[in-house]
Amino acid sequence: MNKTKIELYNVGKTKNRIKILKDINLRFGSGKIHILIGPSGAGKTTLLRLLNRMDEPSSGKIEYDGKDIKDIPVLELRRRIGMVFQIPVIFDGTVKNNLSVPYSLRTNSNHVNEEDLINALELSGLRNDFLERRASDLSVGEKQRLTVARALMNKPDVLLLDEPTSALDHFTGIKLLESIKKLNEALGLTIIMVTHQLEYARILDGRVINLVNGTIVRVEEVEDSFLDSESI
Amino acid sequence: MEGFNYNLIDISYFDLLISLGLIIVAAGLSRFQHMGIERDLFVGAIRTFIQLLAVGYLLKYVFAFDRWYLILLIIFIMIIVASRTVTQRQRKKTKELPYIVGFAMTAGSGITVFVATQILLQIKPWYEPHYLIPLAGMVIGNSMNGSTLAVERIDSEIQSRKLEIEAYLALGATARQAARTCIRSAMRAAMIPTINSMMVVGIVALPGMMTGQILSGTSPLIAVKYQIIIMYMIAFSVAISSFILANLRFNRYFTSDHRLKEEVL
Repeated sequence: MNKTKIELYNVGKTKNRIKILKDINLRFGSGKIHILIGPSGAGKTTLLRLLNRMDEPSSGKIEYDGKDIKDIPVLELRRRIGMVFQIPVIFDGTVKNNLSVPYSLRTNSNHVNEEDLINALELSGLRNDFLERRASDLSVGEKQRLTVARALMNKPDVLLLDEPTSALDHFTGIKLLESIKKLNEALGLTIIMVTHQLEYARILDGRVINLVNGTIVRVEEVEDSFLDSESI
Repeated sequence: MEGFNYNLIDISYFDLLISLGLIIVAAGLSRFQHMGIERDLFVGAIRTFIQLLAVGYLLKYVFAFDRWYLILLIIFIMIIVASRTVTQRQRKKTKELPYIVGFAMTAGSGITVFVATQILLQIKPWYEPHYLIPLAGMVIGNSMNGSTLAVERIDSEIQSRKLEIEAYLALGATARQAARTCIRSAMRAAMIPTINSMMVVGIVALPGMMTGQILSGTSPLIAVKYQIIIMYMIAFSVAISSFILANLRFNRYFTSDHRLKEEVL
């Protein structure tokens, strides 16, 4: 069974009179890993940002669980669809302070369940003795894992990742992707990741959506795409 | 007002001309050192002379005419001029800025001057210009400086922290929650000069108003009490104006559905 989590209908996006996305029709199946791949400027990040309404499409409609995302309160939508950015943004204070932010935004209280904290840390591949560490002291790779853990604190069912490995060295990047794959397996989380490196698609074993010049040129299961990976 | 046996020495226009000699000496020094500021020095000196003399005559007329509407009009003009100054200092001049600055300054200075003149000093009549005009002038002038800093800071903070703001928004924060650090920092920037001057007043600097009162024969103790009230009034008014401004200004960077506007990104 392949339930649809997010679906785009004729979605277009124009910025400063330039058409960045043209008439996109796309389905993201629930619990799957989807990889948006393509050259720089293809519109990958723009597309990703439309999904949790960090940006608005110029035309078309996006549905989440069969409901127009404009009809879902935006704050709730962003909690259900978490996002990890290219450059990890760490807030002041300890790892624990960082992880408490989603909860305190919702409730104005800092009393987060310790178990939830440890759970999020472990799921994102951080040791649980990191809790009291100053977040700014972490390595870049650890910071990126922390932003994943922080997004998990909202208990989302979709995680958007915008080139999460671009600030990391190759080895650290691969380790992060392995953790993300585990996340997908453990939580059944729908993952939508932007990258321009096909190798990452292989690690995540996901469905590849190839975007060029704002148009989808191919959608394929990962095995097929490797046959002619050089062409991307 | 309580005075001692003190004869206030009037200054004749001839005395003023002699004091202009000080400027001439300073200009000579500038020429000698090739500082190239003689012209500005003279223009400044002449502007000081003309502007202050004009205000002197205007105030003399206003005090004699003694009508509440004229006094309120003068205060209103002060606020307009101060708001324009705040707006002109900003790199990002937007349509609504003069209005929110005007509103913030009117609220901040208005409440302050009302409390000081009507509740503390209980001046009679309520518009007594000898009190109302100088007090309002001092409060508005300081609010103007605080407001300039508040707007400048919130603009630059939102630009420099946009990644952080987006990270907050993506976690489900409201625009206000996401901009909280920026709002705080703007208010702090606005308040710091006032707090600094409260820290050193009387030690590093003798405030102009207090010195003026003492020169005109008021007992130093009364002058000091006035100065204390003035300092508190200024702190309060700057706090209120910058609070209102920062809270209204951050909004223009966000859409109603908690997105940073594209122009910021």
